[in-house]
Amino acid sequence: MVPLSYYLMLSAVMFFLGVLGVMLRRNAIIIFMSLELMFNAANLAFVAFALYYHSLSGQIFVFFVMTVAAAEVAVGLALIVAIFRTKHSINVDQLSSLKG
Amino acid sequence: MTAADVYAILPLIVLGGASVVVLLGIAVHRSHSLTLILTLTGLVAAFLLLPLVSIEAPRQVTPLLVIDSYSIFFSGLIIAASFIITVLSYSYLSQQRGHREEFYLFLLLATLGSVVLVASTHFASFFLGLEVLSVSLYTLIAYSRKEYGIEAGVKYLILAGLSSAFLLFGMALVYSELGTMKLAQIPTSLSNPSSGVSQVFVLGGLALIVVGIGFKLALVPFHLWTPDVYQGAPAPVTAFVATISKGAMFALLLRYFTVVNIHNYPSLYLAFVVIAIASMFIGNLLGLLQTKLKRLLAYSSISHLGYLLVAFLASGPLAAVAVAFYLVTYFVTTLGAFGLITIMSNSDRDAEDPEDYRGLFWRKPWIAGSFTAMLLSLAGVPLTAGFVGKFYLVTAGIGSALWLLVIVLVVTSGIGLYYYLRVVVAMFASLPKGSTIAPAMRISPHFTGALAVTILVLLLFWLGIYPTPILRLIESMVTGFS
Amino acid sequence: MLGLLWLIPVIPLIGFILLAIIGPRLSRTAVAIIGVGSVGISAILAILVAISFISSPPAGNAFTQTLWTWINVTNFNPGISFYLDSLSMIMVLVVTFVGFVIHLYSAEHMLHQEGYSRFFAYMNLFVGSMLILVLANNLLLLYLGWEGVGLCSYLLIGFWYTNPANGRAARKAFIVTRVGDAAMAIGLFLLFNNLATLNIQDVMQRAAQTWQIGSPLAVTAAALLLGGAVGKSAQLPLQTWLPDAMAGPSPVSALIHAATMVTAGVYLIARTHVLFSLAPSVQLAVAIVGAATLLLAGFSALTQWDIKRVLAYSTISQIGYMFLALGVGAWSAAIFHFMTHAFFKALLFLAAGVVIDAMNDEHNMFKMGGLRTQLPLTFWTFLIGSSALSALPLITSGFYSKDLILFDAYASPSGSTWLWLAGLVGAFLTSIYTFRMVFLTFFGKPKTKAVYQPGSRINLALIVLAAFALLIGFLETPSFLGNINVLGNFLSASLPATSILPQRAGSEGILELVSAVISLVGIYLAYLLFLRVPKTTEAMVQSPVGAVLHRYWFSGWGFDWLYDTVLVRPFVWMANSNKNDFIDLLYKGIIRLNEALHRVLSNTENGLVRWYATGIAIGAVIIIAIVVFL
Repeated sequence: MVPLSYYLMLSAVMFFLGVLGVMLRRNAIIIFMSLELMFNAANLAFVAFALYYHSLSGQIFVFFVMTVAAAEVAVGLALIVAIFRTKHSINVDQLSSLKG
Repeated sequence: MTAADVYAILPLIVLGGASVVVLLGIAVHRSHSLTLILTLTGLVAAFLLLPLVSIEAPRQVTPLLVIDSYSIFFSGLIIAASFIITVLSYSYLSQQRGHREEFYLFLLLATLGSVVLVASTHFASFFLGLEVLSVSLYTLIAYSRKEYGIEAGVKYLILAGLSSAFLLFGMALVYSELGTMKLAQIPTSLSNPSSGVSQVFVLGGLALIVVGIGFKLALVPFHLWTPDVYQGAPAPVTAFVATISKGAMFALLLRYFTVVNIHNYPSLYLAFVVIAIASMFIGNLLGLLQTKLKRLLAYSSISHLGYLLVAFLASGPLAAVAVAFYLVTYFVTTLGAFGLITIMSNSDRDAEDPEDYRGLFWRKPWIAGSFTAMLLSLAGVPLTAGFVGKFYLVTAGIGSALWLLVIVLVVTSGIGLYYYLRVVVAMFASLPKGSTIAPAMRISPHFTGALAVTILVLLLFWLGIYPTPILRLIESMVTGFS
Repeated sequence: MLGLLWLIPVIPLIGFILLAIIGPRLSRTAVAIIGVGSVGISAILAILVAISFISSPPAGNAFTQTLWTWINVTNFNPGISFYLDSLSMIMVLVVTFVGFVIHLYSAEHMLHQEGYSRFFAYMNLFVGSMLILVLANNLLLLYLGWEGVGLCSYLLIGFWYTNPANGRAARKAFIVTRVGDAAMAIGLFLLFNNLATLNIQDVMQRAAQTWQIGSPLAVTAAALLLGGAVGKSAQLPLQTWLPDAMAGPSPVSALIHAATMVTAGVYLIARTHVLFSLAPSVQLAVAIVGAATLLLAGFSALTQWDIKRVLAYSTISQIGYMFLALGVGAWSAAIFHFMTHAFFKALLFLAAGVVIDAMNDEHNMFKMGGLRTQLPLTFWTFLIGSSALSALPLITSGFYSKDLILFDAYASPSGSTWLWLAGLVGAFLTSIYTFRMVFLTFFGKPKTKAVYQPGSRINLALIVLAAFALLIGFLETPSFLGNINVLGNFLSASLPATSILPQRAGSEGILELVSAVISLVGIYLAYLLFLRVPKTTEAMVQSPVGAVLHRYWFSGWGFDWLYDTVLVRPFVWMANSNKNDFIDLLYKGIIRLNEALHRVLSNTENGLVRWYATGIAIGAVIIIAIVVFL
């Protein structure tokens, strides 16, 4: 039996890596992947504690999160295609015409 | 779920059903006006159901939603605002080329998400409502598929995704300690010492939830996205982001942190005080020399949400009333301002540059006059809605002796006055000789948009001069939610 | 019928909104119908309300109509609510009726002027604001009306804004009255702060309960209100704006700067008379201010060549009489003189407007003359107005109202022989300068030919006002002349009766006789000086003493010069020389600081999404740090 705190730690590490990914990477697809990592960090914590509390709600919530994440990515990929059409690149640093 | 439960959430079902009907309608016959009529019918039907539903209130429908007078009031406000935005969108999209009909689908879905938020009593409905709102907004912001729109859409997507992740992780932390996601159980689990709850994890979780909420409300330090998204999005969508999305989130904030009594957690309270002061100062300072109108309104909205936090932090019976009334006035004023930008915009671009409104009074006295009224209301000048709203905020703040916050509110309102008046002065300035007329001054406003704006101007003065009826309504509806 | 009360101020305001929005697109006829009609309807409603008020008086002889409460927080709950008692009833009747007649006149007088609809929009706004002022039942609404009439006064003095001099006159009026308004606003705050209510009747009641006679708070509050009244009513020391205000069109002078707005100060003091009774020293100050003003303005009026400036100084002087009456506790005498003055002074201004038009915009009386035959109707009505102003015995309203004030100034407990004497000298001056005006303008040899004849609307307005200028005096006559007390009885419900010292009560007949003689002597003297032997008069003015006096009087006793030297110039000098001192640096520093902060913060909005994400992350860290570690 893995101790419960390990799950939480792993989840925290995943979350932190995800934040760093969003902050440091320029490629839009990798940024989306980092976002997914953060979502799944939360999911991991939910599943682990759902098991601990013997309550289903945490597990069901994870399904909601996965569905939502899928929807976000679907819209996100569509937007990336649209950027690529105008900029021929998916570097988010090039998206800086709105500022000031 | 009983029949009575289903009855209680009928407005939500109608909104969801309307979006399905619009979707199918587009598939069968693509027509802009037909889609508009279907959308408006859905919104009106949902609105008219609210008083009928209120007979059942308060009613807990599954652990996720509560239909009480508080949620009914804010649902009504959201649906009414959505109605106005739909009408403005029709005026806006009539100028655009390409497919216009799906826009309304997303408007309905975003409205549905907001209504879920104000009725939420559970993390699941919180998250789902938020995401239904956000995902619809991504598409709406990028709807024009012009360069600015897409840029704004991607920025909003990444940052909203990031903040949702923070929110979600915060929920996970709270769940990990308390084993519940029901709002009502959080304070009881917290106060029960035998549960061995670690306050640190719960508070950390709540702090992360505040990050998610703060992002949607565009509070400092989560405000950086605001001007870019405001500027890039089509004007009616900006109106949506500025009003409904924030209003729904604020209603949720007030409900959550009244149930989880914020006064029991001094550090959390302090965090909100810091956020409020920073928002009031930084929002107004950012607006100071801004010339682009949509960005200016973005900065203005940052500070306005900061003002709202003053009433939020004031406890007492007046606080909820002050928040609700201020939101109403803020909705009217902001919708009016973006409505005016909408009716001045054309197919190429939104009217927001200084030359679009310099000397506007001499070309379009009506639009300039209405705009002046909106800006004066945002500045809080007497006899406009904004004054009465701000008066109640200050009264609520003084009632709870929040002197620091009230002083900051007054001082920063003074800074804010400067940039509102700057725009007003520019509108009444004489046109330079021989200058070309900006395209924004040449278009003749679409009838529907002009009608919507006229109604908003009348509402603005009505609320400023005769606020009693709406105050009575608010007093009877928003105080004391379960 | 009383329920219609709220419509009385609202209808002119609707007229204003209509004219402001669609006025420029309407024909002049339509503008006149809206502009004149709205005030006309308001006057009819006022009469209906008055009939109902008199025939079936409401409980307590006062009627309060609350439309709604604007804001309701603890004891700050200003309502949009109106209070009708006999005092406000009289004010409403005069404002709407005189207002209507003047509007009727303006419909013709302003017909060929640029900005016809703008004129009526302002005039309607003025009537609406004035009615709000007199009907307000709380201090905040009263203040709204007070500032509203001030705004309209400013807008209408500067109506012909293309001439910079008019703009200057408008600014002067606005700034000088602002001095008084600031005092009044502080007074209102003081009342609210100490008595915890805005309702005027409650304020009076609580003041009488909580404050002793002569208590410092009561004195301060009354003095501050007096400051507001002095500014609005152009009394010493804030009288300098009114003569310059004649830059506006004649109907404006008639309505705002003679009949209604300038008497708002009188109304304010009468409305808050309880407060002034609690502060006898301030009440004495009111009497002295009135007496001094009426004398100073009377001398100044003697020397003016501009017909409208004579009337302006005369207005200052007549309001001085009203202040004198208020100061000696003769509340209803003040209101009586306000009524009669409203009619005859409006008449004089309107007739002067006709004269000026007929002389092709000539204001100088010395270039007029002999107009008696050229403008007969205008002459006769002007003569009636002048007789009323000089209190011609028995037949004019001015005789009854002014002599009542003189008698009360002598015989009331707070009166004195000195105050009476000042009033008497003032009456003598009044009849001289008034008939100087009549003789110079209408008698003698014609110097200029009249180029214009008034039409039916103007004539009607003049006739109506002339009739009232004669008849309205019979509402209140002395004991030996019928002893009619209609007005006094009517007002007794809201204003205390004037007390008369018994040992002086019997002197009324003698006093009346003296002032009647004085008035007639004055007229004869004017006849001598300005018609029979103008050469002698000329020589008197040229003599060394005469020249000095003439210069002082002509310039309104040099008050403009005094304020310019003592206040304006030093202030401008100080402002100029301190342009770059450290205090200014402080303000500049605040601006610089704000701008610098703006620039720094603007750099954070660099458009880079990764930076924004970092911002959120840093924010999250800060919030967590605050929440978890503090």
